[in-house]
Amino acid sequence: MNARCITVLKPGLETTVQELPGRIGYLEQGFPVSGPFDKWSFRQANLLAGNPRDTAALECQFLGPTLRFDCDATVAVTGADMRPKLDGEPAAMWRSLPVRAGQVLELAAAYSGARGYVAVSGGIDTPVVLGSRAVFHMARVGGQALARDQVLPLGPPPSGAGDILAVPEASRPPFSTDKTWQIEALAGPNDDWLDPASVEMFFSADWSVQAKSNRTGIRLSGPQFAFAGRALDKSSDHGQDPSNIIDHGYPLGAVNLAGQTPIILVNDAPSTGGFINPFTVASAAFWKLAQAKPGDVLRFRRIDREEAGRLRAALETVTSAGVAVRV
Amino acid sequence: MTIKTVEAMLPGVIYLSPSPDTPPFKAAGDRVAAGETVALVEVMKSFLPVEADSDGTFLGYSTETGSNIEPGEAVCRIEVAQ
Repeated sequence: MNARCITVLKPGLETTVQELPGRIGYLEQGFPVSGPFDKWSFRQANLLAGNPRDTAALECQFLGPTLRFDCDATVAVTGADMRPKLDGEPAAMWRSLPVRAGQVLELAAAYSGARGYVAVSGGIDTPVVLGSRAVFHMARVGGQALARDQVLPLGPPPSGAGDILAVPEASRPPFSTDKTWQIEALAGPNDDWLDPASVEMFFSADWSVQAKSNRTGIRLSGPQFAFAGRALDKSSDHGQDPSNIIDHGYPLGAVNLAGQTPIILVNDAPSTGGFINPFTVASAAFWKLAQAKPGDVLRFRRIDREEAGRLRAALETVTSAGVAVRV
Repeated sequence: MTIKTVEAMLPGVIYLSPSPDTPPFKAAGDRVAAGETVALVEVMKSFLPVEADSDGTFLGYSTETGSNIEPGEAVCRIEVAQ
């Protein structure tokens, strides 16, 4: 067989094909944007594999897959440390790995971080659904999580593929080593539904990541919120709980307050609903949400839109082609 | 006889009983068969079984229900007949 493809020997835990920019333009019909949760690691994996940075690649969550290459290819593994092995030998992360047809890449559990990325030269060539190959697993849009014995087609190898590149440590995402993550967030859109002291409390408290977190939402445990008058004394159209509001659109990264539980709405989140969103996480901080494990602590740092824009620009720079250097 | 440690295979929250109202999967002295579930790890709204990798006698858990666990951390000990 001459087709360029990969065979899934073990699927791992909800391993999916992801692509950038994601499924854009369907929020009003309820389709989330999906796409890789940690864009930083995802793009660097593609650059190391010789691909344009937004090419379809694999997102591995908590427990990685075992993959057999049915053709020669250049592969790269980034993100969470899942202790990759190639034919049983430890393989370097953040570096191009030339593989021969028949070789097996095995990822273990996430020893640091939560989500690993595997990019392959030519990209994963699964069908485009509503404009993207990004998988929304919960609704099976664009496919679903990998299954044992599944064959993943690859696209044609990019020109110039085969160079051995590496991302220097200074350009890689700086993973937390003490299980705490500083998350940049903005107040709003509904911060005026909280008591001002609770707005300050959000930015000073420790918030623990629950195991009930996934690509839909990062669910947090922490102190209780107090509400402002407009949340407590409102038209019944808004619903009964202080955190209820008449249904409205949810921004990506919204800290959605359902009763007393903050849930950060991420890549596969619903686009509308009836809870307030007092805060919004900056897009440049999403990669940290992707790499936080259950029990890790999030501390929110208040920033404004200008700083969010600067952080976003910095993330663009560090995920641009020049960051992967020849070795 | 040798003592084998069963390790968590992925990070998450560990549960030593099938549900909050039931006793732990195993108690000291119980027989354990390879492939039998001895605990659950919760991650991404899923509960994944931690399985014994050999037959033997259950000695005890090395962790507490509801605690955070990392891959490779000890879950329980099993005495295995050689």
